[in-house]
Amino acid sequence: MNERHIYARRRFLKTAGALLAAGSGASLLAACQSTAPSGSATAAPAAPAATTAPATAASKPVATTAPAAQPTSAAVAQPTAAPAVAAQARPPAGELKVVTPEKVVSLDVQGANSVDRSTHTYTRHVLEALVTRDPTNNQLVPELATQWTTPDPNTWIFTLRKGVKFQDGADFTSADVKASLERTIAQKGPVAPLFAAVDTVDASDPATVRIQTKSPVGTLLSGLSLVRIAPAAKLSADGFWNKPIGTAPFRVVSWQPDAQFQLEANPDYWGPPPGVKSLTFRDIPELAARVTAIDTGEIDLTFALPPDQIAGLQQNQNLKVDETKTFSYYFIWFNHSKAPFTDMRVRQALWYALDIDTIIKDLFSGIGQRAQAPIPSTVFGFAAQTPYAYDPAKAKQLLSDAGHPDGIDVDMIWNPGGGPQDRELAQALLSAWNQVGVRVKSREEERGIWLQDLLALNWDMDFQTNTVTTGDADFTLRRLYHSSAKRLGYANQDLDKILDDAVATLDQQQRQQLYAQANKIIWDNAVGIFPMELLTDWVQRKQLSGFIPPPNEIPNLAPVRVS
Amino acid sequence: MTGYALRRLGFSAFVLWGALTIVFVTVRVVPGDPALLILGADASPQQLSELRERFGLNQPLAVQYVDYLAHAVRLDFGSSVRLDSPAMQEVLNRLPATSQLAAISMLTALILSFPLGIAAALRHHSALDGSISLVSLMGQATPNFWLGIMFILLFARALRWLPSGGSGGWQNIVLPALTLALPLVGILTRLIRSGLLDTLAEDYIRTGRAKGLHPGSVLTRHALPNMLIPVITVVGLQLGQLLGGAVIVETVFSWPGVGRLLVDAISNRDYPLVQAAILLITTGFVLINLLVDLSYGYLDPRIRLQ
Repeated sequence: MNERHIYARRRFLKTAGALLAAGSGASLLAACQSTAPSGSATAAPAAPAATTAPATAASKPVATTAPAAQPTSAAVAQPTAAPAVAAQARPPAGELKVVTPEKVVSLDVQGANSVDRSTHTYTRHVLEALVTRDPTNNQLVPELATQWTTPDPNTWIFTLRKGVKFQDGADFTSADVKASLERTIAQKGPVAPLFAAVDTVDASDPATVRIQTKSPVGTLLSGLSLVRIAPAAKLSADGFWNKPIGTAPFRVVSWQPDAQFQLEANPDYWGPPPGVKSLTFRDIPELAARVTAIDTGEIDLTFALPPDQIAGLQQNQNLKVDETKTFSYYFIWFNHSKAPFTDMRVRQALWYALDIDTIIKDLFSGIGQRAQAPIPSTVFGFAAQTPYAYDPAKAKQLLSDAGHPDGIDVDMIWNPGGGPQDRELAQALLSAWNQVGVRVKSREEERGIWLQDLLALNWDMDFQTNTVTTGDADFTLRRLYHSSAKRLGYANQDLDKILDDAVATLDQQQRQQLYAQANKIIWDNAVGIFPMELLTDWVQRKQLSGFIPPPNEIPNLAPVRVS
Repeated sequence: MTGYALRRLGFSAFVLWGALTIVFVTVRVVPGDPALLILGADASPQQLSELRERFGLNQPLAVQYVDYLAHAVRLDFGSSVRLDSPAMQEVLNRLPATSQLAAISMLTALILSFPLGIAAALRHHSALDGSISLVSLMGQATPNFWLGIMFILLFARALRWLPSGGSGGWQNIVLPALTLALPLVGILTRLIRSGLLDTLAEDYIRTGRAKGLHPGSVLTRHALPNMLIPVITVVGLQLGQLLGGAVIVETVFSWPGVGRLLVDAISNRDYPLVQAAILLITTGFVLINLLVDLSYGYLDPRIRLQ
């Protein structure tokens, strides 16, 4: 070959290569449209803010005292009394390796990731909150607060646990609570709206915190369960959140994003010592690798695997698989701001067209359960409604009554990777609607684009999972269905009033009754379709003991022991 | 030679500027709002505009561009929107993992492909040649995400010889390095084979044989050096790509490299991080090309005299 000719070709190749490198960003943009790495499944992007739980203590508005008021009864504060007591007898030993379903982007749990289940799972082992959820019964129980009172509906006084030290040796005081809550509000992350009514946080007495609200906040306790307390002197320092310091049973050894988060037992922990000496969270994004790792014993615990992977793992004699209900569910929204979904008959027709029981049996065996309300049955404020039976003839009739005898043409946006089996479910929905003459164009969108379209109401239908992160109906119902939310163009003044009243009372029984009405309005008007609530599977090695899978999917690994 | 090197350097600077500009435009043309992705669906318009202001995203594009170039020459890309730390630092933190994987994959590929390519060329049209060609074609054609998962299922799950992923020990690097090396082995083996076949047909090889040179000496002294230039070109290009981060392989094997950082940054519209990562990758590419160019001059005097 001619040398000069070869050289020209090489030169072209090299230039092209360099430009390709630059362009690789662009092609990656396209390539990752369907990957949606972060915030997948449940803790979704869109879902935000605030919840309230069946706050035991708050149910009596005045002067409530939580059970673990005495320092000696520290074990009581750990809801799981048995493992906690057992752990007291024995120093931490062994190593525990855990993989969460989503990637953790940042350990700053007070900001943009403040309702993300995997971020909370990582950080709860280092930083504690005033109150926490008992995984056995979902009740709110003391953590860094030992008791609280509400002398009037706008005043909350928390008594802090005595003798608690941060992992750097500093004393834990009310100033730390004040700084953490104020930073959480200032960061404007998805949890911040829960504290919109907070007026002042008073820390003049180191042993108590006084929170004054502008209007009564029935969800304050459940909101505070998501505010993790960091030392006031350090929490805004550069780099603090790459190696945070807290009061929890473990302290940080190192954090390598995309690789692992390594913790060791905190020898100065105020409560019962943790079961293991070393706790490591590994990041394994590839499903086949995660399943392999739990199957071969490289890791000890993982959760939220798809059902087709569970069958194989159940054959493994060394593993134990549990399924629990969660705070997550699927919904399909209608855009109420334009035809044809302004007509309730059309909305109901689409619901009657779905054979939900068959879909669950075929696609969601073990991880799905027919929904009975617009929120999952695990959540405070849930009230069961009458199901929409599968009735395609009725669906056609309703469409015809609404003036669409030839069916309708609409579109549906969704972000792939947003929930388990989402592609399969989308296909099942589309084909069921097609049978009754509803021709739906599927608009599968990358997360950033989907989020923009969703908020701009640039869609006829939206299909996604959602999580009631706080475990309280307010987080989902008022945030999404109040007319001021403008999320799906739905406006109902009766519903607005019920939702406003429900958040503004501290009487939890009354709140429950109000949410029962709200559930019914949303369900009967078919504001959206609520096909199923999701279950999660938890796979652990049989050498583990003391693990209790929680419905909020923020597991506490401190009581877990390895034999 | 100095003139030649200077020309190459000038051209490299031009390529870097081009890359910076392409990236700047591309990330802004793609729809999706970084502020919205950070704050979520419940953020108020006021919160969104405050955040955009914090990251300078509310400025006119021309102002952003000039500002961006002015900072870029000082390697300052600002703070990552998502991680809240200097973008360049985040990328540099990932560089060792990526370079390690790239270097080991490339070494493995070279060690395997030279003997295979030479054997295939020397036994031209034999069964050995046929099978080497077939296997290297398959290696080149196999998608590496599939290969990676098959390796995990076979070596980690069924045989339990190696861990399924992660980083740390030498065991962790075996499977990702093999996954990346196999397609390279395919490409290089075929290239070495055909290059060597061309060279072996040249007159000077026949002359060498005719004057009684040892066959090994004909191969190593006369044939191989003359077919190295295309091989080095391809090695340079492939190495550049490996340094850009093998996104898929890094994801499959939980390898904390530049590729995964970049993909996450793109999903989150983390402009500073994307720009810093692309600049670093492009620089790597340009440097390797520069070395490749200079090596041509070393290998072939005709080129440096042009």
